[in-house]
Amino acid sequence: MFVPGAEVRPHYRRLAERLGSMPENDFNQRRAAVDLAFLRQGVTFTVYNDSEGTERIFPFDLIPRIIPNAEWRKLEAGLIQRLTALNLFLDDIYHDQKILKDKIVPTNLILGAKHFRREFMNFTVPRGIYVHICGTDLIRDHDGNYLVLEDNLRCPSGASYMIENRAAMRRAFPNLFRSYGVRPVEGYAETLLKSLRHIAPDRSEKPNVVLLTPGVYNSAYFEHCFLARQMGIPIVEGRDLVAQGSKVYMRTTAGLEQVDVIYRRIDDDFLDPTVFRPDSTLGVPGLVNAYRSGNVALANSIGTGIADDKVIYAYVPKIIKYYLGEEALLPNVQTYLASDDTDRKFILENIEKLVVKSANEAGGYGMLIGPASTKAECENFRAQVAANPRNFIGQDPIMLSRSPTWCDGKLEGRHIDLRPYILYGEKVTVTPGGLTRVALRKGSLVVNSSQGGGSKDTWVLQGDK
Amino acid sequence: MPPATAKLPPPVARPQATVMLSRVAHSLYWMSRYIERSENIARLLEVNLQMLVDFQSLDKDTTTEHWSSIIASSGDEELFEKHYETSDSRNVTEFFAFDLRNPSSILSCVYAARENARMIRDQISLEMWETINELYLFLKARNTADVWAAGPNEFFQHIKMVSHLFQGLTASTYSRNEGWEFLEFGKYIERADKTTRILDVKYHILLPSATDVGGALDTAQWQAVLRSASALEAYRRFYVREILAWKAAEFLIFSDSFPRSLYYCVAQVDDFLRRILGETGARPKSEAARISKRLVADLQSLTIKDVIEEGLHEFLMEVQKSLEKIGDEVVQSTMFYPADSSLEDQQQQQQQ
Amino acid sequence: MILRLLHRTTFIYAGQARDSFNEARLCPVDDPTQSRRHFVLRTDPVVTTRDYRDFYGNIVHYFDVTAPHHQLVIEAESEIETTPNDVRAPIPAVPVSELATCAERELYAEFLNESFYVPQAVELWREAQDAMAGQRFTVWADAIRLGRHVYQTFAYKPRTTGVSTRATDALAQRTGVCQDFAHVMLGMCRSIGIPARYVSGYFFNRGRQPDDIEASHAWVEVMIPGHGWAGFDPTHDRAADERYVKVATGRDYADIRPVSGTYRGAPTRELRVEVAVTRSDPMSAPA
Repeated sequence: MFVPGAEVRPHYRRLAERLGSMPENDFNQRRAAVDLAFLRQGVTFTVYNDSEGTERIFPFDLIPRIIPNAEWRKLEAGLIQRLTALNLFLDDIYHDQKILKDKIVPTNLILGAKHFRREFMNFTVPRGIYVHICGTDLIRDHDGNYLVLEDNLRCPSGASYMIENRAAMRRAFPNLFRSYGVRPVEGYAETLLKSLRHIAPDRSEKPNVVLLTPGVYNSAYFEHCFLARQMGIPIVEGRDLVAQGSKVYMRTTAGLEQVDVIYRRIDDDFLDPTVFRPDSTLGVPGLVNAYRSGNVALANSIGTGIADDKVIYAYVPKIIKYYLGEEALLPNVQTYLASDDTDRKFILENIEKLVVKSANEAGGYGMLIGPASTKAECENFRAQVAANPRNFIGQDPIMLSRSPTWCDGKLEGRHIDLRPYILYGEKVTVTPGGLTRVALRKGSLVVNSSQGGGSKDTWVLQGDK
Repeated sequence: MPPATAKLPPPVARPQATVMLSRVAHSLYWMSRYIERSENIARLLEVNLQMLVDFQSLDKDTTTEHWSSIIASSGDEELFEKHYETSDSRNVTEFFAFDLRNPSSILSCVYAARENARMIRDQISLEMWETINELYLFLKARNTADVWAAGPNEFFQHIKMVSHLFQGLTASTYSRNEGWEFLEFGKYIERADKTTRILDVKYHILLPSATDVGGALDTAQWQAVLRSASALEAYRRFYVREILAWKAAEFLIFSDSFPRSLYYCVAQVDDFLRRILGETGARPKSEAARISKRLVADLQSLTIKDVIEEGLHEFLMEVQKSLEKIGDEVVQSTMFYPADSSLEDQQQQQQQ
Repeated sequence: MILRLLHRTTFIYAGQARDSFNEARLCPVDDPTQSRRHFVLRTDPVVTTRDYRDFYGNIVHYFDVTAPHHQLVIEAESEIETTPNDVRAPIPAVPVSELATCAERELYAEFLNESFYVPQAVELWREAQDAMAGQRFTVWADAIRLGRHVYQTFAYKPRTTGVSTRATDALAQRTGVCQDFAHVMLGMCRSIGIPARYVSGYFFNRGRQPDDIEASHAWVEVMIPGHGWAGFDPTHDRAADERYVKVATGRDYADIRPVSGTYRGAPTRELRVEVAVTRSDPMSAPA
């Protein structure tokens, strides 16, 4: 079934041989067993705007994506460089704003950004770390170079799928791993817990770390439980916490217990109704002021969204150069800013050939893929860009690299991306692996789970083959 | 004497997970109750459907009357009458198995158990979660017509099996910590309540004035009562003779060894409640412990004769009320957060 | 002029309230136009208050009342000395063309962008164009023309708008209170490139009738390149002078809410706001 041809890259060759010798029936059985296991365990996500029951499994493709060691080393260095620089950027933006004064990044982009939290100017975050958990989306162009598509610095999700996908693969092909030398991803939870403990206030030797979830109906609820479980920390909802005298406590059966670190999976807007959205019932009134008083630490910090704004994204190579004096190891995708007069003209004239994105949306929403859209859709976006230039960017569509994927009983090339997870604790580390998302619809470039995407296990090899 | 440089043992690290969130405790409690409840409903339906099959000669009125007393004992008469015209076997199965409008249908219970489990997925074992999730998927994939076509026995058998599997998995995969106490407390309080309801179905036979006792139908019905509580075999081992109404009632109320008898369940409730509330002294400190202590004492000192004279139905109603109070009190006193439902506790905004 | 201010907010609940978390922006600013001689914030029930300075330089007090209570009183008392009119720096005549090139443009970009209550809307831009009638003068003169336009074409009618009314809503009905007048003027200024911000505060009403209700007030400040912020009150059609006390500034009402918070419990039965502005220095002789 898996015919090795000229196009198989060397590090896939052994896999091709192994799968080639497997009867198709056998392969299909393993596929079905993996799907069933996901459903049984409830490894699901919730689909919004779907009247049907709402829980679905994330379609999983049994053909792994394989990254040789040398390729990974380059990636890793680039990701560490990027997060280090973005953290320095956040620290500067919320303090002296040198980068604005030196006119590297235009001030009005910061002041006009939706996620700029003016409430946190001059606030010093614990240990100077703003982003503890980062998921960076990467793609490969047709020459095989990795490019950064976007940074996720607020509440990046998907790490649990990285670990669950690996578990599924181990069950389906227990022997492959031994012979292949695949680096493990299971250390993620432990490193995450260490990073969280790293920012605890000095109060106690054994800080109380909790994971704050919006609740069972959140699309990533499975992941919240999974991570809390892996780390052995309580998962709490807003109503389990209470702020008193600028300290945060959880309500336990034995009374109130002080909390030191909150790994929050709730957006800034919903964290504290006293300070942000007053209609939020998910958050904890008084939490922000407890954070301000230094009695509790938050990961990620508040206001990090300013650095993953799609307009600021265009400036990241300059940001890296400014703070680190280095060239960016991982380049951006060519980006046009609608806020710039020349670029805006270019976008408006070429909208049919570009990918246009709204600055602050995520999950594939608020996005136009020109070549795949109707005339009316393009017109609609053209008007939106003209009316609110600050909020839009245009990008050249990248022919995402394709990876062999099992579709309707045969292997076909499908577009993929990669989201590795970077953790910032005592130092910056990248878990060897990540979430490879695949656009299951033929020709589609959208890999988001909410829009018909699936995933693959990602193998980072100890060697190069 | 050890050398002076000997290292002291490292300080005992306080494991982080020693505290239990109130919400988690209550989700454990409700998850456990709902699973137990679904099992009891399944058994009640199974046994009574079987009995009606055994007595095929029964006329329509008797069948209706039979089901009516079961609906009455569950306290859902009004709801049933609102949605169904006749209490025939099929409607009753629909109502008790699949109807989501009925908060105590099997599907509703399993759904509620699963929602509670989902909220505490990080706390329970993967096996426990998988079992509940599978039961939910099993129910979602079926309806009354399917069940009827395939034979209802297997359907109810499956639900009971899953409940037992769940309780077994809980016993073998859940740590004996405070959460365990809530799980057990929930299970036994639900079981005690259900046993009173099973008995209540046939209380009129034990009215002091009742004369129509001892017929074939009556024996069959008391058999059904015992089977509804999985107690027929245990009863036979204990009494080794024909089934007498008052003996069956005595067994289901007072047995100190049968794990579904009222006394056994209440004794367990009392035990776990004391552990949860930290009631160590002889004299109870909390209202819950007082009520439960009184209930245990009643069940230890009363005889079946007392109960029948006083009125079985009235006795059972009293017990149900006490159980309800115990449950509420325990939830209240371990709750350091406000329930979100009442107006008094809604989050409000204020600004000027 | 020395003004003594008392601002008392009382929430009366239809039952019990608890777990109440609040922020108050009631402490007048200290700047070249006014100096703060005295300020105190009291609450009943009595709790500890803390404060921080927000992005716009406003002083924000925050406090929580966790115990059950039936009413909450927040009382701010201050004494402010405002700079007499005759010693204030005159507002220079700066041509509007400087707005595009001035150094302040970058710095005050957010007072040109849209904000929650002041969306970027075609109606506001058109309204501003109408008021300008094709002619532009100086920044200050244009701002006054916009403010005056609002004053002349809007009717001051309490209770026709609420705390959630946006500039575009107020414009559609051409009625409202000081908050709406300010929002509309802000939208018009921003639409033609004049950086403008919202000011909350008090106004000492010399000709006050005994049964006139005193309340907190709102007006607008525009950025004059090379000079700084200059205030104009579209509700009264005049520049903000020594009778005005500034409490807080921001992009719009959302940034300066005098009191905002959440609590658990019964709904609010009554919200009472009492404001008293009195003059505490000897009256200057009538002119």
